[in-house]
Amino acid sequence: MDATVLLQQVVNGLSIGLVYALMAIGFTLIFGVLNVVNFAHGEVYTLGAFVGLIVITALKPPLWLVLVLVLASGALAGIVLERLAFRPFRRFRDEAALKSKAMREATLLSSLAVSIIVREALELKFSGEMQTIAQAYLLQRPIQLGPVTITDGNLIIFALSVAMLAALQFVLYRTRIGLAIRAVSNNVLGAQFVGIDTTRAIVATFVVGSMLGAVAGIMVGLYQGAIFPNMGFEPGVKAFVAMVMGGLSSIPGAVVCALILGVAESVATQFFSDGWKALVSYGFLLATLWFFPAGLFGFKREKM
Amino acid sequence: MSARLNLVLVLALGALLAGLVALGSSYFHQIAITTMIFVILSASLNLITGSAGLLSLGHAAFFGVGAYAAALLSTRLGWPFWLTLPAAGAAAAAVGALVAVPTMRLTSIYFAVATLGIGEMIYVTMLNWVGFTRGPMGIRSIPGLELWGFKGIAFALVVTAGVMLAVLWLVHRLVHSYYGNAMRALREDDACADAMGIDVGRLKLQAFSVACALAGVAGALFAHTTGYISPESFKFGESILVLSMIVVGGLGSVYGSVIGAVILSVLPELLRELGSWRMIAVGAVLFLSILFLPRGLVGEVSAIELIRRQLRRRDRGDGGARRVAW
Amino acid sequence: MTSSIRSLIAAGALLAATGAALAQDIVVGYQIPLTGTQSQYGEVFRNAATMQLEKFNAAGGVGGRKVQIVYEDSKSDPKEAVNIARKFVDDKRIVAVLGDFASGPSMAAGEVYGKEGMPQLSQTASHPDFLKVSNWQFRNITTQAQEGPFNAKWLRDGGIKTVAVIGLQNDWGLSATGEFAKAFEAQGGKVTSTELFNPGARDFKAILTKVVQAKPEAIYFAMFYEEGALILQQAKQLNVAAKLYSASPFYAPKLLELAGPAAEGVLLSTTFVADNPAPHVVAFVGDYKKRFGGEPNQFAAQAYDAVGILLDAIKRVGPNATRAQIRDSLAATANYPGVTGATTFDKVTREPNKTLAKLQIKDGKFVVVH
Repeated sequence: MDATVLLQQVVNGLSIGLVYALMAIGFTLIFGVLNVVNFAHGEVYTLGAFVGLIVITALKPPLWLVLVLVLASGALAGIVLERLAFRPFRRFRDEAALKSKAMREATLLSSLAVSIIVREALELKFSGEMQTIAQAYLLQRPIQLGPVTITDGNLIIFALSVAMLAALQFVLYRTRIGLAIRAVSNNVLGAQFVGIDTTRAIVATFVVGSMLGAVAGIMVGLYQGAIFPNMGFEPGVKAFVAMVMGGLSSIPGAVVCALILGVAESVATQFFSDGWKALVSYGFLLATLWFFPAGLFGFKREKM
Repeated sequence: MSARLNLVLVLALGALLAGLVALGSSYFHQIAITTMIFVILSASLNLITGSAGLLSLGHAAFFGVGAYAAALLSTRLGWPFWLTLPAAGAAAAAVGALVAVPTMRLTSIYFAVATLGIGEMIYVTMLNWVGFTRGPMGIRSIPGLELWGFKGIAFALVVTAGVMLAVLWLVHRLVHSYYGNAMRALREDDACADAMGIDVGRLKLQAFSVACALAGVAGALFAHTTGYISPESFKFGESILVLSMIVVGGLGSVYGSVIGAVILSVLPELLRELGSWRMIAVGAVLFLSILFLPRGLVGEVSAIELIRRQLRRRDRGDGGARRVAW
Repeated sequence: MTSSIRSLIAAGALLAATGAALAQDIVVGYQIPLTGTQSQYGEVFRNAATMQLEKFNAAGGVGGRKVQIVYEDSKSDPKEAVNIARKFVDDKRIVAVLGDFASGPSMAAGEVYGKEGMPQLSQTASHPDFLKVSNWQFRNITTQAQEGPFNAKWLRDGGIKTVAVIGLQNDWGLSATGEFAKAFEAQGGKVTSTELFNPGARDFKAILTKVVQAKPEAIYFAMFYEEGALILQQAKQLNVAAKLYSASPFYAPKLLELAGPAAEGVLLSTTFVADNPAPHVVAFVGDYKKRFGGEPNQFAAQAYDAVGILLDAIKRVGPNATRAQIRDSLAATANYPGVTGATTFDKVTREPNKTLAKLQIKDGKFVVVH
């Protein structure tokens, strides 16, 4: 079998993997800091795509302006989400509640409920179908790199992931709020004892995570040419899987695992068929967890 | 909660069913049947997620395994329902045990993601193994519940109710026993439980298999009462639906799973009048219920108990005696 | 005080009047996905149904009595479909049912309708076993057993010897790929590969890369227009050289909007052609554009005809039609002049017999070719 075909499949896989990775970055940030699964992250992603689409259809601005507006909408969504679905569950301060698994399932469910409401509202307004996007904005121009073909969208998404990771590193390690976020991620009570405003840090985490999610949404929407209310579901599941495979609190780990998942899917399609590729990618997941029960790059965490 | 209360509830259920049968509306019968199937499902999920603390995100797949087992056995081999139900339970338990083995070392969220993966793998198999399951074509004309000449939807209602009561009794006995204590110990701190001599791996496997067996029985009932099954009914979304039921109802409590299942099965039907706003309303109800009652409506320590405890503590002033939950 | 008593009386009178009016109306149930991921299809069906119903009632209805359609949202979920089926069956006023959209809900509901005796006409259920559930099921969509061989012949007549088939893994896709591949090989061609993808897939580059390895002269797409638009774009990105063919679900203005220049040159079969100069088609397309903005697609046309066929069948029986009578009347449908072509239900299998046309996408428009 042709080596170039395999190479093209690997490239295809990396491009899918980057889509998952974009979503995984914001998702892992929120989980890593707050130990909560944010089921509504997929909807923030979708909202980002829709806001971008509305801006494009209404104003036809240059791409960077679209991104800025989408970032703003993502930040707003993050603030609202935190206020609505997560803050009310921090009112329980007793130890039994903090340790209780039932409470964690409660935030899982509250974010799920919010995601249902947002998605159904979007479907009500826009119907479930794919929205038409102005051709000029689609990131689909093919680029030939020797024997393989990619698109400009692939390059932009790759650049975006790198930029996101770099920005996150900067925020987390070089700003005061980043320091607060890291403190909260380590030990919430301890952070409070040393006088850090944990609420502000948590809101900041949501804002940053949601901004990343929203931008991921519009970028992937333009790259795939598919913007529809249910678009956040599948990447959301894959991001969740990538995060756990990567070891929960490691963002680079989540990105690497997202890429692995993408390549596994493409190569599985080449050798088996598209229908069965889920077996291969989830098989990879199970194999990883068998050999690394705490994820590929994770270390044993005390709180689980 | 006393045995007397349980008896009263069972009698009330009987009266309700008799009323439904008398009413003659097959629409209500169908809703009742679907609700009871989901009661079985949520009781089974509550066993692993509520009592044993293992969040399982792939439960709908085992529901599907049971449904397919019953459908294939009855359409291809002509087995009657009283054989397919236990067979479906056994099949689901076998698959559950098989897939649980690689996950035994995993804890909480890793376990959850592993079950998510397993659920997806089972769904994809159902969809693509066309030679065996007929894939997306599904299996049609599955015989209904029939015995000694009794058939039709009213009979299906009675049989489903009977199976549901049996399952609830089983789960109730498991939860309120030393076995239940062991599961709860596992949930609270599995390292500690291990240190105390509980065989953690074996317990997880057993609990998981029992829960999958019950889900399989629910699946068999679903197959017989719907007449047509296809892989789309057993996707990740259904697992999330069942999870929502137990969280709303109350984790770890049998009554909780009943209430959660009833609310989330009946509410979408009641709200049909709202048209396109229906699912938004359901989402809102879900959100409000979890906001005000995060431990569920009838949680292991029910909301009423919590309030009572707070009041008692204030009165007594000595910290209040710790009341063991029922 | 008096004003509220007056309004109460007015309300009571209105209620009585409506009740009386309803009591006289003939009621038909219609189950479709009005919410959920397939709501765009349900909305289109409802639009087309409303148009057909108003036209029918304005022309006198059934012996002076109007027909009313009651819509229920099935979310394309078989569980909901069964609940709705029970609801419709219990309602004594409902004499016939339309729907559902996808085969899963249609089959599940069909089991109920078959047991309880309610005629069911689906505008799109294409499951090969749908009509075998019982005597009460009908459909007016071309089966793949007809469309597959038609397309296969088209390719063979065009001199195509090798083809790859890419299809959606649902009951429609499965039968579409199967029937086409079978017919193509029976006519002397060679199918280089058949690839099926699960519903919800958005990235097809891996499949396309795999399939073009064998250098097929053509690729046959057995899927709906949303995935279709994506796969067309991705085929362009990968510089796929093969000729691209598809079937009637591709016939949708939305495909052109979503795919843009990537759709250029694609060939497809269809029953409904919006440019058809026949007067009833022109009227349909014109009315639809005026009321709902945008041209109707194949799905709208299917629903329009389905409602028309049912109303026609009821009219032939008369104002006091029972469910059994309507079933028999439906079975006798012959040469109904629909916008998707003349429709006749086979006497034995009840399968619809329709004529197909060939289209090509040229300059961003669907053009009839021969």
